[in-house]
Amino acid sequence: MVRSQLRFLALVGAVLMIVAACGSTSSGSTAKQVKVGLVTDVGGLNDKSFNHLAYVGLQRAIADFNVKGDVTESKTGDDYVPNLTNFASKGYDLVIGVGFLMQEAVGTVSGQFPNVHFAIIDGAGTDASGKDLAHANVESLFFKEQDAGAMVGVIAGMLEKDKKAPGNTNVISAVGGVSIPPVNHYIAGYKWAATMEDPGIKVLVGYSNDFTDPAKCKSVAQSQIGAKSEILFQVAGGCGLGVLQAAGQAKVYSIGVDADQKDADPSVIASALKKVDVATYTAIKNVVNNQFQSGALTFSIANDGAGYSLDNLQLPSDIQAELDKVQAAIKAGTMTPPADIPA
Amino acid sequence: MPIASVLFAFLVGAIIVAVTRGNPLSAYAGLICGGFGIACTQGENPALQISNTIVFMIPLITAGVAVALPFRAGLFNIGAEGQLLAGAMACTALGIKLHDWPAVILLPTVLVGGMLAGAFWAGIAGVLKATVGAHEVVTTIMLNYVAQWLLRYLIIGGPLQLAAGTSKSLPIGKGAELATILPNDNSLIIFDLPASVYRVHTGLVIAVIAAAVFAILLWRTSLGYEIRAAGQSQKAARYAGVSVRRTIIVTMLIAGAFSGLAGAVQIAGVDHNLTDKYFSDTTGFDAIAVALLGLGSAVGIVLAALLFGALHSGGSVMQADAGISSSLVLVLQALILFSIAANFLNAIKLRIPGLGQAPSAPAPAGVGAALMTEAASAPPEQAGGT
Amino acid sequence: MGGLSDIFPLLLTSSLWQTTLLLAVLLLLPALGGVISERSGVVNIAMEGMMLTGAFFAVWADLNWHNAWLAALVAVIAGGLMALIHGVVSIRFRADQIVSGIAINIFAAGLTVYLVRTIYGLQDVGHVGQSELLPNWNVPVLSTIPFLGKVLFQQNVIVYVALILLVLVEIVLFRTQLGLRIRAVGEHPQAADTAGLNVYLIRYGAVVTSGLLSGLAGALLAIGVSNTFVPNMTDGRGYIALAAMIFGKWTPRGAFVACLIFGLGEAIYANNSTIHVSQYLLSMLPYLLTLIVLAGVVGRSTPPAADGIPYAPGSE
Repeated sequence: MVRSQLRFLALVGAVLMIVAACGSTSSGSTAKQVKVGLVTDVGGLNDKSFNHLAYVGLQRAIADFNVKGDVTESKTGDDYVPNLTNFASKGYDLVIGVGFLMQEAVGTVSGQFPNVHFAIIDGAGTDASGKDLAHANVESLFFKEQDAGAMVGVIAGMLEKDKKAPGNTNVISAVGGVSIPPVNHYIAGYKWAATMEDPGIKVLVGYSNDFTDPAKCKSVAQSQIGAKSEILFQVAGGCGLGVLQAAGQAKVYSIGVDADQKDADPSVIASALKKVDVATYTAIKNVVNNQFQSGALTFSIANDGAGYSLDNLQLPSDIQAELDKVQAAIKAGTMTPPADIPA
Repeated sequence: MPIASVLFAFLVGAIIVAVTRGNPLSAYAGLICGGFGIACTQGENPALQISNTIVFMIPLITAGVAVALPFRAGLFNIGAEGQLLAGAMACTALGIKLHDWPAVILLPTVLVGGMLAGAFWAGIAGVLKATVGAHEVVTTIMLNYVAQWLLRYLIIGGPLQLAAGTSKSLPIGKGAELATILPNDNSLIIFDLPASVYRVHTGLVIAVIAAAVFAILLWRTSLGYEIRAAGQSQKAARYAGVSVRRTIIVTMLIAGAFSGLAGAVQIAGVDHNLTDKYFSDTTGFDAIAVALLGLGSAVGIVLAALLFGALHSGGSVMQADAGISSSLVLVLQALILFSIAANFLNAIKLRIPGLGQAPSAPAPAGVGAALMTEAASAPPEQAGGT
Repeated sequence: MGGLSDIFPLLLTSSLWQTTLLLAVLLLLPALGGVISERSGVVNIAMEGMMLTGAFFAVWADLNWHNAWLAALVAVIAGGLMALIHGVVSIRFRADQIVSGIAINIFAAGLTVYLVRTIYGLQDVGHVGQSELLPNWNVPVLSTIPFLGKVLFQQNVIVYVALILLVLVEIVLFRTQLGLRIRAVGEHPQAADTAGLNVYLIRYGAVVTSGLLSGLAGALLAIGVSNTFVPNMTDGRGYIALAAMIFGKWTPRGAFVACLIFGLGEAIYANNSTIHVSQYLLSMLPYLLTLIVLAGVVGRSTPPAADGIPYAPGSE
């Protein structure tokens, strides 16, 4: 019984090999085409935020520099190391990991392939204790989400101070996905800036503990609206779309995150931008131009790596002026939004 | 093993890909390359692919056993995931708190700790079932969720957290790590790659032993007899002097120990710490498919685990090479399950005289019955049927 | 637990219970479907997959045809088709029903993402406009009742539909000829067949109905509560509905009670911006609660056609 099964398996295997050989396209090697591999986080490419943005950056680089770009989505955290290793072992010139959850994986794989360039978004190549291994072939692309959060915090704070908010309750809020650093950085900047503009403001912070179910974030948002919040900042990925929707239905304001979420709901007055596409593009450009630099590259307001977009609201000119002032101050370093949520 | 079912699934999958304007041949080439290291055309390293497949396969074997054993007793252990998490959490906690202990004591401690935690987790469901008749599907689903949230509690702002603001635990002590089969050396080159990329670890041996223990337990011990008897018919078992209540509890305890071991081995052999990815881990659920596909036999489970490990590993290569979304892998897994399930037809038809109806009792009796009629009369190695 | 004193005042607010009912209905619809299917003797653990399928097709249809009702219909049909697959595999091919159910869930998860990728590429799936969502509707007069008015009568239209269905299913299943037939087929298919009932037809009908209901739940989730499709957005609700069904001893009203408990837990948790209690312990609450209740009160929960336990029709 078992032997006949094995023989059958072998036959099937042979047939499949032939099929595979015929079916695959042979990649004729072009002269020194730079090969880039992108490994996304578990949110997948349709996450409506940073995985998608990284892909956008890759596409732009393909168009501009004629690199060969391939993408693998990690289905679970167990896929990080294999996905990164796959690209590295094939001799890709640059392997990009998206997301700080991949730090350890990048740390491990970059140590195994010293001749391959690595870039990681939102983190560094670390060991198991979180210590930056500082490998010479790793470029860390950090974002100061707190800068972006601060900009939209200015908008929220000013609207309340100027009494231009829907109900002038002086309460605003943020809905985070899970209490992890990138999420908390956004919220930290938001709260800091809003409180700076309007010291009497009350900022509620809640978590949905979810990044995929809009209903969960909507409930959290509604509870915040019930507590009189009228400007809601979503920092919860796909789940956070529920926040925007709740705000719209309650006829209050909301703020989008990572990418410009103007079309997600009419209530979105602004979005805090994290220009992952710019970072990805820059990393690829560096490799193409042989200017790869190991170490940290920080994307903030100062180099247009973080920012904000104005969406479905005509902003009063004094608020715009304040935004420009704060932006300049952050660029100059005279104001620094905190990375941790202020008490 | 039902090979025809697998091929049928791949055929339908190919049709789906073709209909949506993809190239099925390159998709499958990617799958086969990533799964088995065969026919790789874009420079993938075969040894690496095989190594990845094995790493994915290891927890599926032990967890598959954890699902298959209760099936025999007529119980549906949908809580393998929660038990696995319990084992992983216990292993990590012990590995952190006792991190200075030497490997010779620490490693067995964390593994046994994982087994005990998993056994406890399943035991709750077992006791509830045996005493008040609480349906194990409900209790184990509840326990799965409790385990998930307990995990988050421990590593986000809780006692095992690495540092403020992170969502992972401290690393376990070196003594708690399971060695890799090839040396973990960046400079030693084996098969054209540094030896450290081959992550296959000694947990493989543990998994295979677990499968063997499962087979021996089920077919060569009196406890195994009681389990199978209780699964076949509780009334008849009682008549034969088997304490069904005790059997249910013991079965769940052992099953939980297997799942807990799977979780502990994952931590000790691969991750070396606990991270938030375990919140959305699906190993315990894949194990259900593995146990079913393997028709409840040890050899079948190992082969099924190999297939699922290969699909997991292959999906990434398929996407990188052929651009097909790795969600196709999920579709294929489902199709395999469908065709396996439909194959049960042959076995059941032969054994239920004259009836034109489906078995009227829903699971778990239904599931247990199906597996029982398949394998009750055959020694484990040939329980795979056709 | 620190925040207990925070929770009590929360329990007195009408918005908490309003949210609870909505979240409960998201579970109730698939649970009702599960009850019908299993009462007819077909094990159905595929609610998750059917709901997810319904959610996807609801959004797809609404984006194409800009009509929430049409989209809901499409979602219902999609759920029904998924259930039909389960039915054919389970009834016609007599496959193991648990396996088939699991396969449906995996299939739906993979298929929906695959379709998102093929239809929308790597762009946004897109958002359904506010006016094209399944609307909320305040029942005239009744919605002005203090407290209860907001909880019961200021809800999404589908919530009202679900509550009506709850009563309907309860009545049909236990007080009508049809219900009798369904239950007979689930308890003693041989006897039912001898008595002239078409066992196949009734089972197919029951299974497809469960798909229709789960599909409707998907529509409510995707174009009633939310306004877009996010992969895996059902997030395990189908499995909770399964638990609710068993918890409720395969009766609609029992399932409803369970759904309310779970909805309450989720609704309380949503207030973590203002309540100070460990998020994770709070999240565990509904599940621990269920375990405790199962251990003490609910007791033996046997499915239809349990080993030889006679089931007298109409005695519930």
